[in-house]
Amino acid sequence: MTFWLLLTVNSVTFGGLLFLLSAGFSLIFGLMRIPNLTHGSMFMVGAYLGSTFLGGALGFTLDFWAAAIISALEVAVLGALMERLLLRRLAGQQLAQVLVTLGVSFMVADLCLMGWGGDPISVSTPAGLGGFVRVGLAVFPLYRMAVIGIAVVFAIALWLMLERTRLGAMIRAGVDDPQMARVVGIRVSRLFTIVFGLGAGLAGFAGMIGAPILSVYPGLDQDMLPLALVVVILGGTGSLLGSFLGSIVVGFIYNFGQALLPELAYFVLFLPMVLVLVLRPQGLFGGRLL
Amino acid sequence: MANSALTLSEIDAFYGDSHVLQRVSFQLGEGRLLGLLGRNGAGKTTCMNVSVGLLPPRSGSVELFGAPVTKLPPESIAARGVALVPQGRRVFKSLTVRENLMVAARVGFAGHGQIPWTAETVFAMFPRLAERRQQMAGYLSGGEQQMLAIGRALMANPRVLLMDEPSEGLAPQIVAEVMATIRKLKESGLSIVLVEQSPKLVFDIADDIVILNSGRVAVVSTAAALKQDGVDLRQHLGVF
Ligand SMILES: Nc1ncnc2c1ncn2[C@@H]1O[C@H](COP(=O)(O)OP(=O)(O)OP(=O)(O)O)[C@@H](O)[C@H]1O
Ligand SMILES: [Mg+2]
Repeated sequence: MTFWLLLTVNSVTFGGLLFLLSAGFSLIFGLMRIPNLTHGSMFMVGAYLGSTFLGGALGFTLDFWAAAIISALEVAVLGALMERLLLRRLAGQQLAQVLVTLGVSFMVADLCLMGWGGDPISVSTPAGLGGFVRVGLAVFPLYRMAVIGIAVVFAIALWLMLERTRLGAMIRAGVDDPQMARVVGIRVSRLFTIVFGLGAGLAGFAGMIGAPILSVYPGLDQDMLPLALVVVILGGTGSLLGSFLGSIVVGFIYNFGQALLPELAYFVLFLPMVLVLVLRPQGLFGGRLL
Repeated sequence: MANSALTLSEIDAFYGDSHVLQRVSFQLGEGRLLGLLGRNGAGKTTCMNVSVGLLPPRSGSVELFGAPVTKLPPESIAARGVALVPQGRRVFKSLTVRENLMVAARVGFAGHGQIPWTAETVFAMFPRLAERRQQMAGYLSGGEQQMLAIGRALMANPRVLLMDEPSEGLAPQIVAEVMATIRKLKESGLSIVLVEQSPKLVFDIADDIVILNSGRVAVVSTAAALKQDGVDLRQHLGVF
């Protein structure tokens, strides 16, 4: 009983992390049609930078949350720069975008290996969240509950931004009909930079938030990227609600798969993706940006 | 003629290898309404695309109130006061009616003593949109989408309004409504290009007429002169 309950909590937690990771991936793809294969790198770089700030790299030690926020901002700037300097020149050339983002992700992996070495870095749970909460007979790790809470808060905030602000309406207009959006005066290229930075920042934030659970190690990027791909394909690109539901689904598939069929974990994970791509390419939850 | 609001000079435009506009020139006078006619595929929409910056011409120039805008991107041309009601309406389907208006809002060029266009003034002109302001634009009827496309263009408070076949696919009664709206806009002093296939709709309302035929300007005249002369336009426009 406890086993199942814990597995469920882990699945939801992991789904929350995946949401923070894939919301940006999905928005970027929905708005710009760019399959950004550096998204896993953004996650990993966020975690590396955050762990370094925790260790006092700035001359003083930051607390966990400050480290997470600052590393997220830095990764957001990196993402925005990448969009401005590289991807902007490749507008409409999807193969070139795939190759460039793939190349950059390998380059980033090498730089991280050089900078942080090959050993995993563990990040301790932020102060005050190391304990457990008891609900009836069940015991839940406090930090995992916090991660779920953070993911929900971000989901709501992102939803409000997209659905209730003029910026959000402009982004949706750009997804709907980018040419017409430009004709009515929306500076779509500036939106691209904003969305790219936002998506990268969210991924970096997710990396640090996930670090106490996953730790940071070379290859973390390539572990996370396929998961984001699966989420976005299940949920449909450009759809916030789709990303959210897709993340939870993938969180379950991944954790249950690893626990019950460890040797087939990837099979179990990618089978639904293949089926959805072949049978229902708009994603399980439609394709609307919600 | 009054000062020129929009001038196309010697425009050559291509889609890939196909030479769609050949040395096209015409002028929209300030405060006037120019009817741009031509049969299917004559190049009318292409003229609109060139004017708003969606299709940079290979050669020739576009001027707005005397200032060159030829190679500017669409968002810059919008900022200089050109608004388009595109063929097929192209409202943002997953945005609400109100959001469609809000994303296009700008201070623009409302004249002295004129009430600027806002969501509220657009809703006052099109009460049917007001009732549906929270509805997704994709669920509006064709006529309502056309009104929304016009409202969206007005939200920019433009100096030049380009309308590409606003009557296409609408019931006659709705067409009459749309034409009445265009007449009002003209009276407010806006400079307008009205693209249509059928001269019937245009001759009553237009000051000037330009007819395109296979990507070339075939006729430039005033509506009054054309009506008087009873020129045979069938060779350019097909049977009507
Ligand atoms: N995106 C495009 N790519 C290639 N050719 C195009 C494209 N758009 C239009 N054309 C071609 O350019 C020519 C002019 O088209 P345009 O849309 O300007 O005509 P139009 O006068 O607006 O016609 P309609 O009354 O049917 O709207 C046509 O021969 C058309 O087939
Ligand atoms: Mg046309």
